[in-house]
Amino acid sequence: METNTQKNVLLLQMKGISKAFPGVQALQSVDLEVYMGEIHGLVGKNGAGKSTLVQILMGLQQPDIGTIEINGHRFKTISSEEAIKAGVAYVPQQVRMMNSLTVAENILAGDMPKGFLGFIDWNRVYKEAAERLEKLELDLDVRRTVEGLSVAEQTMLAIAKALFSKAKLIILDEPTAALSRADIDRLFGFVRSLKEKEVAFIYISHHLEEVFEICDRVTILRDGRVVDTRYITELDMATLTKLMVGEDVKEYVRGSTYNDEIVLEISDLTRHGHYENINLTVRKGEVIGISGLHGCGAETLGKGLFGLEERGIGKVSVNGRPYTPKDPHEALEQGLAYLPQDRHRFGIVGIRPVRENITYAILDRLLDLLGIVKVGEERKVVQNYIDRLGIVTPSPNQMVKLLSGGNQQKVVFAKLAATKPSVLILHEPTFGIDVRAKTDVFSIIDELSAQGVAIIIISTEVRELIGICDRILVMYEGRIIKEFKKGDPETTPENILRVMEEGK
Amino acid sequence: MSRKVVFTLLDNFIWFLVIVVFLFFSVASSNFFTPFNLLNIIPRVAALGLLIIGQSFTMITGNFDLSSESTLGLTAMVAGLLIAPKEFGGWGLMLPAWLAIIIMLLVGLIVGLANGYMVTKLKMNNLIVTIAMMILLRGVVYIISPGSSASFFGPVFDWLGGGILFYLRFGGQSVGVMVSLAFVIFAFIIAHIVTRYTQFGRNMYAVGANREAAEAAGIRSDKIILAVYLISGFCSALAGLLTAGRMDSATPRTGMGWIFQVQAAAIIGGVSLLGGRGNMIGALGGMVLWGILDTGLNVLKISPYLVDAVQGGVLLFAMFLDALKGRYLQRTALQKVVPLKT
Amino acid sequence: MVRRSIDWVKFVLDRFIWFIIAGVFLFFAVQTKGFLTGVNMVNILLHTSVLGLMTIGQALCLITGNFDLSAEGTVSLVTVLAAWMMVPGGSLEGGGGWVLHPLIVIPLILLVGAGVGLLNGFMITRLRINNFIVTLAMQLVLRGIALAICRGHNISGLPSLFTWLGTSRIGPVPVQIIFTLLAFAGFHFYLQNSGFGRQLFAVGGNRDAARASGYNPEKIVTTAYVISGVLATVAGWMLLGRVGTSSYDLGTGLTLETVACAVIGGVALTGGYGSILGAFAGVLLLSIIDNGLNLMEVNPFWIKGIRGFIILFALFIEAQKFRYKPKVARS
Repeated sequence: METNTQKNVLLLQMKGISKAFPGVQALQSVDLEVYMGEIHGLVGKNGAGKSTLVQILMGLQQPDIGTIEINGHRFKTISSEEAIKAGVAYVPQQVRMMNSLTVAENILAGDMPKGFLGFIDWNRVYKEAAERLEKLELDLDVRRTVEGLSVAEQTMLAIAKALFSKAKLIILDEPTAALSRADIDRLFGFVRSLKEKEVAFIYISHHLEEVFEICDRVTILRDGRVVDTRYITELDMATLTKLMVGEDVKEYVRGSTYNDEIVLEISDLTRHGHYENINLTVRKGEVIGISGLHGCGAETLGKGLFGLEERGIGKVSVNGRPYTPKDPHEALEQGLAYLPQDRHRFGIVGIRPVRENITYAILDRLLDLLGIVKVGEERKVVQNYIDRLGIVTPSPNQMVKLLSGGNQQKVVFAKLAATKPSVLILHEPTFGIDVRAKTDVFSIIDELSAQGVAIIIISTEVRELIGICDRILVMYEGRIIKEFKKGDPETTPENILRVMEEGK
Repeated sequence: MSRKVVFTLLDNFIWFLVIVVFLFFSVASSNFFTPFNLLNIIPRVAALGLLIIGQSFTMITGNFDLSSESTLGLTAMVAGLLIAPKEFGGWGLMLPAWLAIIIMLLVGLIVGLANGYMVTKLKMNNLIVTIAMMILLRGVVYIISPGSSASFFGPVFDWLGGGILFYLRFGGQSVGVMVSLAFVIFAFIIAHIVTRYTQFGRNMYAVGANREAAEAAGIRSDKIILAVYLISGFCSALAGLLTAGRMDSATPRTGMGWIFQVQAAAIIGGVSLLGGRGNMIGALGGMVLWGILDTGLNVLKISPYLVDAVQGGVLLFAMFLDALKGRYLQRTALQKVVPLKT
Repeated sequence: MVRRSIDWVKFVLDRFIWFIIAGVFLFFAVQTKGFLTGVNMVNILLHTSVLGLMTIGQALCLITGNFDLSAEGTVSLVTVLAAWMMVPGGSLEGGGGWVLHPLIVIPLILLVGAGVGLLNGFMITRLRINNFIVTLAMQLVLRGIALAICRGHNISGLPSLFTWLGTSRIGPVPVQIIFTLLAFAGFHFYLQNSGFGRQLFAVGGNRDAARASGYNPEKIVTTAYVISGVLATVAGWMLLGRVGTSSYDLGTGLTLETVACAVIGGVALTGGYGSILGAFAGVLLLSIIDNGLNLMEVNPFWIKGIRGFIILFALFIEAQKFRYKPKVARS
């Protein structure tokens, strides 16, 4: 990777940025420099200050101390308008699209081509939008509405928008969360081609492999301070992780704890259009992983088993008894629990307190004859799980939405674990949580499996799966095509990824 | 049936409804399909149409303006007090019509400004704010009104509200095309041009579709929302003008209860409650549908007591179909078709 | 230092409504003759009863994230229906001639109220029609039916067994006040401490997460509407008993006030948050103001205007609450 930053001009200079919120110093004397044409990674755990720094740059927050200089223009305080005008664009993690409008309008919103008498010329609108997409080799019908586009397509569209807003500095915040390898390659291709045109990027990601792949330099934030800014070529994964966390972090490896007793048995499960002939057995205490590309059917299989979606036809039994839930309530009753990928949407009720969230699924066990909650027992259960899972919260009455991502995830775990399930399905359990919390999650999985819970992890984090799973199944276009066993020499991330992509 | 055909049908559903209802009444009563009745369909609901325009503008940005009926009543009453002679309820100022009209429009704009300010700068909930304004303004109308009504608005108002623009001949009969018909059609045309062909109009849709995304595109959503409330207030004043002209009087109850019909017509016309969706042609259809219903139910001599219930029923039915349409769109768009190798 | 002052502000804002009530009460006590009498206190509480019961129902629906704009239509329909069913026919009295016994009529109208709630719930949860429009349209329909039944006439001459709730007293205290206060206390306690209450909050706070936790949002939302319908019916029963004559527009305008009272009392319009005690505070405030202004012999139209203004003010305060919530930065 060429590092041509020496001969380039300094585009962005944030100096001495400090920002405090009630009770927490979010940033302390942070310096950040980005050169034209540089792809600058920004890494750090959740809570390290990345979002705050970016929000300050975009004018959404004001720094207490410090200055921002963009292209030589110095700002003490910056408004979001000024930031956009200065050429900074932000592509957030949760892509903001105007769903009811057409693709073309989403691209050109705010400044559409006009013709006769200053009225909008729709022919030109569609033409220009199509041209822009063509340049990026994005194949989308500009006349269709955005709703119904896949998450991947929407992300690409958002990036296309930013790429064409004449921005000189584009901030990509976790852009690859829902992208396939092919899409990621395409994205990186665009990013590199723009780099040629002297556009700079700030690349925020938890996927450190990507940071190594695409970035020129990287700035590591920890607890609101800059630990270091280095050329990526000077670093390796271990060093980078250590800098982020402040200590040695080994990749989690788990011992096996399963016996022969079969807990979950699936025979010939088929749901038309989603998956076909699924045959699967999981033993007590066993942890299996299911991996595959977006749309391979693993996600809908998990949801279907939990009753959030249709299950299809076929036989499923839990603990030897037929398993036929109509909805999540019955699923939980029959011993199967599910941790959703999108915890904000399906996992937590943000404005309710921790203690309520934890006890949601076991409420009927805590009620007396009149339907009133037995407060004493509730308190015991809640405190038990807060302690066991290490949930960091000022009090059990704290609104869950105010907790960090990792702790929110633990709350959802607590809720499910409290139901004492026989089978636990986890969908991307480490999604959007930082390194330390991930280790906590792994040890929770470890402990649960040691207690005999059969665990299925649906995830694309192949490295993590190798560390914790006894077996890893790969799904492709609705079928299970290969099984990798722990300890086998062929069970490597590269092999698994290849099978995922190629389907054989 | 190809998807595109179904989509276009669904999008223009209102006109489908209009045709069905129109045919229904034409068949149900021979008195319905007369030139007089037909040309009167729109004038009956011209004022409603203006309110629909104003309401649609706010709805497209994702907001509500439920105060418009009271603004209508207020501006009508204000005009009446300024124009009408003392014997007929006015203050006896006998102002010329053009001056009264300007004042009416100003009042409408001020109401719009107040609404917009509270919603954008003070960040209050738009639904309840405009409901509260509806109550408040209606109270004001009662306070300033002379007891029963102010009448005799004079020739200008009469012409605008009830006058004839020109006559058409239908086999021996001469039927007038009313000024209000032309007025409201013209208003809809302008509204359509604005929403479809100006940057401001498209910004309205952007704000309604996703306010953050619009802001990110550099659109000042606060300004847009303030503007649509001003427009809504202005349209309410125009509606007050037409109503006062048509009735030739203003009472404290003028416009009361209209808000439901305005809402219903807009929604049936395709303007979504969530914002970012709908167009003025559909809204026009909503107005036409309401006019047909009104005329038709009248011709069929349906008990006035039931009219409300029927309107409510139509609204429910339309909403049901709208919900179905939404679900159909969702299902077809999100269908993950995994190619199964069989 | 900064932190302390924000906490103080938060303390005041959370209990803001009670400060306001105290302030307004003092104002009238000082300013107005006849305010601070036992009879007047009873009057204030009387005012809270009809509005209060309907506000409880509204609050429950709001907590699940839905509006019930049909409640006043239910009041309209059940009062007209009850009167029509009980009063003998003929042009003088105006009834339907069925002359049913009140003990049959009362359960019947409660069933009707529940049925309305069921219908609302069904259309909103199964047919997925927007709650605002469904209940708005329902209100139109219900009032239309009421109108059709009574043909615009007012019906009087109701049997005393029926009007009992609206008129009788235990000592100096009217039964309806006792009933209302008990209802508020009961619902408040139940909402805070019962499993059902938790479910209501969960569904309102995040419907999908509630479903993934094993709840049935459709059933819960419908139950809220049924309760609202039943409460509206009881409110109608009370009101009819008190007034003595049915008229099709009984209860007009109450809907918006119930929403306002709930909002003033801290119920979030987005759902998942609020308390019945707070709703009571809202109802109490509005009743005190109404009562006080009436005693001061203010022009009734002014009172209407002032009501609207108060609602606006309450919303203004609610909007400000969000400014002072400590922002937590999470990266």
